[in-house]
Amino acid sequence: MNHTNRDFKLVSETPRALAATVHNWLQQPGRRFGYLTARVCDGNTLAIQVLLLDTHTSGGVIITAPLADGEMEYPSVTVGVPVAHWAERAMGDFFGLRALEHPRWKTLILHDGAWPNDLFPLLSNSHGHREPYEFLEVTGEGIHEIPVGPIHAGIIEPGHFRFSCAGEIITNLDIRLGYQHRGIEKRLAELPWQKTRYLAESASTDTAVGNALAHAVAMEQLLGLDLPPRAHALRTVALEFERLANHIGDIGALSGDIGYSAGAALFPPMRGAILALAQLLTGSRRQRYYVKPGGVARDLDDDRRRSIKNELSDIETRLQELIPLVLENSSVIERMEGTGRITRELARDFGFVGPAGRASGSDYDARRHYPHGVYPEHAPKPAMRDTGDVLARAQIRADEIQSSIRIVNELLNNLPSGTICIDCQEKVLAPDGFGIGIVEAWRGELIHWVTTDGTGAISRYAIKDPSFNNWTGLAIAARGNLVTDFPLCNKSFNLSYSGNDL
Amino acid sequence: MGNPLFTILRTGVITQRDLFPALPDDANGLPMVTASPCLGVECGRCAKVCPTKAIGVIDDVVTLDRGRCIGCNACVEICSSGTLERDLSTQTAVATREELLLTNRTKPTTASIPTHLPFRRSMHIREVSTGDNASDLEVVASTNAIFDIARFGIHFVASPRFADALLVTGPVGRAMNEPLRRCYEAMAEPHIVIAVGVSAISGGLHGGGYAEANGVSGLLPVSAYIPGDPPHPWSIIHGILLAMGRLRHA
Repeated sequence: MNHTNRDFKLVSETPRALAATVHNWLQQPGRRFGYLTARVCDGNTLAIQVLLLDTHTSGGVIITAPLADGEMEYPSVTVGVPVAHWAERAMGDFFGLRALEHPRWKTLILHDGAWPNDLFPLLSNSHGHREPYEFLEVTGEGIHEIPVGPIHAGIIEPGHFRFSCAGEIITNLDIRLGYQHRGIEKRLAELPWQKTRYLAESASTDTAVGNALAHAVAMEQLLGLDLPPRAHALRTVALEFERLANHIGDIGALSGDIGYSAGAALFPPMRGAILALAQLLTGSRRQRYYVKPGGVARDLDDDRRRSIKNELSDIETRLQELIPLVLENSSVIERMEGTGRITRELARDFGFVGPAGRASGSDYDARRHYPHGVYPEHAPKPAMRDTGDVLARAQIRADEIQSSIRIVNELLNNLPSGTICIDCQEKVLAPDGFGIGIVEAWRGELIHWVTTDGTGAISRYAIKDPSFNNWTGLAIAARGNLVTDFPLCNKSFNLSYSGNDL
Repeated sequence: MGNPLFTILRTGVITQRDLFPALPDDANGLPMVTASPCLGVECGRCAKVCPTKAIGVIDDVVTLDRGRCIGCNACVEICSSGTLERDLSTQTAVATREELLLTNRTKPTTASIPTHLPFRRSMHIREVSTGDNASDLEVVASTNAIFDIARFGIHFVASPRFADALLVTGPVGRAMNEPLRRCYEAMAEPHIVIAVGVSAISGGLHGGGYAEANGVSGLLPVSAYIPGDPPHPWSIIHGILLAMGRLRHA
């Protein structure tokens, strides 16, 4: 089943009182910051919108703070709620709104040089201009800077890392992203809703199922659809295949960054084996365009179901042999243990999600808190650690590999019969409504937040990738570590640049 | 913990010996245009369902642009005349943008081979990603033990200064324009460019917006185009070998 938008209450606030209201609301246990952005309302007025999550009720609140005509500043929410810091900067880039007293106010996505400094893409009539980006400068005896990127040495996405170092030790890491900004959110508010799923899924193409599912859940709320159980089950299998493939790949990649060739050689073929199953299920290795509003694109016949089940059982046996080769290897443990540590307090304050959050003692897993697919019914007990280091993040991947295989097996053994999709192509989205799709993608909580206008057209489409929370985690984890260990820290998060840049 | 050496020995050789095997029967692949007569503009449903305007129908001539196609299969599912079918071949790369246009209008079918072939035996590649990380993952997959691109003398290198070829994924929005150009200029002559995936070829789903994410084709001279969203690792190897002049055409 899906969580519903009826569990999100709408609240109004003034921009001036917004920071205090958000801070106070978050004081109860089980409550989390979801996302903060703005939208242009009817009559061209601008409003700040904050999505806050109450994990105990599978709902939350949306606080709307309308700005007076021409008012482009408001007191920063970040001052009391650090997790909002990137969201406010992104809103600054796209809407020209300035968060006063924000502790690190600068651009996040649209940097000077590449973009006109008076371009505010989500604002119809823009005024004002952005200030040039400035890296945080660390001063002191012997401090030197290492600039890396945007183009990195490996086959990975572009982004700039500015290390300030004392000798070999990183004292600060300033991460500047945005190089892959493609204007996805704006385009999503221009397309007819039936065609948005292709682009929504491409927010980060390595998370095609996660994005497609978050999109579908949001749209199904706006369409008032109740899905057949078989559709929920098949979607979940695809979601878990995506998690399996990426977690397995990352254990191999971590081995590579340690220089442990056996792990680096043995895991990629296992990922390939999962991708072959994904292709059997969906038609393509990357499961593209399979999950869609209303259900899934194709059914799973009994022959293919059995093939997947048998093959998965072989993969499971093999992984039981391979995972200890890495995670019980003393040289591997020595490199990972204590490296890139994040305390429980910082993980909570900055709202890290997914394996990165759970490695630092957070028990948040959207599969338990926000129903999607067959969750929370089949949700695994969250894999948790409290050491917050590279080893903990790797161990959580290993635990989740096991639980994902178990979930897929359960689903394939008891696949509900019936239809796989409801035809909804002729339907209109609810006017003046909203849909919120929250799913646990392989990197963690992924949110698609869709708002419609009076005609049922999409007026604002906001995406919050799990990496949007977790990039700050990498910056914190790198501090006090050797420059040499940075690739290992980085890989233990393996964040999406394109999901952040949109 | 077991012994990694024994595990590796027991695994044996897993590299695929058959080059460019077709995808399994029930895979999506990419659409192709068959000789089966098209119902023409009266039908035209394929063009309507295509999310990237990759299909045009004029009279009874259908044109499919694989440089824009994301392989969603919607056109194949809706085509009742059998004119659009699934193509399960992994040998999908071509040397010119025009060859990505498939049509049922009669035209010469010989594929062209790039004329500029400085790297026939070995090639070192610098990959630049600009917003399609699934294609990056498939490029990485081409280096694993199953596909083993190194057996062809093809290696991925850490700097454009070492590289013979620039391999681009993603639609190259405004902010990657300059880094990509500088990367290209840092490469020693001779050098070539390969576009991997529909985003790199045309911008795909991203093209036409304020971010000017319209692919690499308009920015740099491209020697091989590898369609797909993302392309299969075998298709990526196919495109790289094509750019090296290592493929024999029928």
